[in-house]
Amino acid sequence: MVATEVFTSFIQYVVLGLMLGGVYALAAMGLALLFGVANLINFAHGEYIMLAMYMTYVVSLGLLQDPVLSPIVTVPVFFIIGVLTYLGVFKRLVTAPPLSQIAATVGILVLLRNLALTIWAAEPKAPPYTVFATSVSLGPLTIPLDKLLATVVSIAALLVLYFFLERSRLGVAMRAAADDVEAISLMGVDTGRLFLTTTGISMAMVGLSGSLIMTFQAVTPTSGLLFGLLTWAIVALAGLGTVRGILVSAIIFGVVDSLASGLWDPRGREIVLYGLFILILWVRPKGLFGRR
Amino acid sequence: MEKNRIFTAIAGAAAAVFPLILGLNEYYVFLVTLIMLYTTIVVAWQLIGGLGGQLDLGAGAYHGLGAIVTGYLMVYHGISGWVGLFAGGLAAAGVAFVIGYPSFRFGLREVWYALSSLALVLILQKIFLLWTDVAGPLERYIPYAAFDPIFMRSGYKTFYYYITLALLAATLALVYRVRKNKLGLYLQSIRDNEEAAEMLGVDVRKYKLIALLVYSFIAAMTGGIYTSMVGFYHPTLFDSWISIQTVTLSIAGGLGSLWGPPITSLILLTVQEYLRITLGAVIIGLHQVIFGIILIFIILFRPEGLGPLLDTLSVRLGLGSKASKEM
Repeated sequence: MVATEVFTSFIQYVVLGLMLGGVYALAAMGLALLFGVANLINFAHGEYIMLAMYMTYVVSLGLLQDPVLSPIVTVPVFFIIGVLTYLGVFKRLVTAPPLSQIAATVGILVLLRNLALTIWAAEPKAPPYTVFATSVSLGPLTIPLDKLLATVVSIAALLVLYFFLERSRLGVAMRAAADDVEAISLMGVDTGRLFLTTTGISMAMVGLSGSLIMTFQAVTPTSGLLFGLLTWAIVALAGLGTVRGILVSAIIFGVVDSLASGLWDPRGREIVLYGLFILILWVRPKGLFGRR
Repeated sequence: MEKNRIFTAIAGAAAAVFPLILGLNEYYVFLVTLIMLYTTIVVAWQLIGGLGGQLDLGAGAYHGLGAIVTGYLMVYHGISGWVGLFAGGLAAAGVAFVIGYPSFRFGLREVWYALSSLALVLILQKIFLLWTDVAGPLERYIPYAAFDPIFMRSGYKTFYYYITLALLAATLALVYRVRKNKLGLYLQSIRDNEEAAEMLGVDVRKYKLIALLVYSFIAAMTGGIYTSMVGFYHPTLFDSWISIQTVTLSIAGGLGSLWGPPITSLILLTVQEYLRITLGAVIIGLHQVIFGIILIFIILFRPEGLGPLLDTLSVRLGLGSKASKEM
């Protein structure tokens, strides 16, 4: 009797973890795209996610009522933020050594984190409940609809990206840039514009994932650090290369996250997640699906 | 060389009487001591980062470990902070070895090394948050003593000012020496081209590890001094902000420059504290927004940092040591 209960709660956490992983995949994809295509190290990736979460909070509080609708605002706004970040900072960093890239994006990290602290203070902020904030029972399991929706939207967005990378000219150019930037610039691709678009798309994905995360979680100015390390960990496990790799590795982290906070202690989840991250770096520095 | 010595003597004398200039105002002495503590970490970081080229973001972990070990020994065992400083340093160097050895063994570079050292800060923070026998979610207070130099506990902040000054001076002298001896040259060869250094027979792992151990030991000592000065400890002393601040100040000061990082650190941290007092009370966090903007501008428009500028200035004044001209 007790054994079945333990088993059920285990399955419950795995299911929750699968959904969490779907959302994390989208959050990490923006980072992987920028790193893979433009070879840009964005240390402030988590801070941009945090900013997207705050934007979701603001628009759903004042304008749209339901955070589920907020991507209408966050996705285009973050595309523009991406373009501006590229023109203002990243453009100068594309050819810079990794150290300068890290240093400059750490500057952005400091700026965004404290900007959030200045504007919204340190207390956690959560948007009004979405209409999906209920759950359905599936046998002994409980499925929260808001998380399910976030996962479905996130995976749909990844599918769109996948077909974009496979089928469109721009997508092919991006994949080619990931392999050899010099070669494609010799083939007549305007790498400046390509990287600009890549940053825009990367940030649009950040905008969407921030909105989705916000449907079931609150945000503080330090959330950026958590998501920053988490998304880098997912990219480390996946290795650079494929959308599928990111999805699988995000799901692994989602399940581990859910099991650690559910079966052990929510405060201990970071120990498990980051411990796993360091282990991955030691054991498989190229990731599970890395092409390089 | 003669001028250089006179300059050092003047700077030392000025630092020695500085608390008197501040009128022994506890608050100002406290702020200056804090600025010097963080500057000490920046100087120590030059070993692993500035010379060795490893972008270590673990400063918060080592600082916090030093603070917790020193505090724990003082609160629960009544052991003097002087012992605690060294115990904390050893503990931090031990953790640095456990993390650093495999990292260097498996060849973690650049962003991955930076991220794994940053992850260490958060891992240790959560471990001590859950480890309630030692730390836990509540602050632990060190028993008050008006003035007890043997226990290293004092109500007068000036006491800590001089301890910090001594540590800062020792760390500066150490980094100065290392730059001139073989270890410094090995580290710089690793920074400039690791493969080439390895091919020429430099034991890359060994020297990176030595730099990491010394740096983590000093960072832990600053943590011990800090915790004794504020009189309590808490897992939030594992502060990722210290890591980020250390690296950004070092880069803004110029990697590999001797005087650039400490002087930049003293100036920018003073500016930051000034902004905190004037603006921070009005709008929380605004001083660090300005700090972030300053950093981005320095990195984008003076990627080599302020170091070369300061070195040129010191040469103009006839103070430039041979070492700073050579590098």
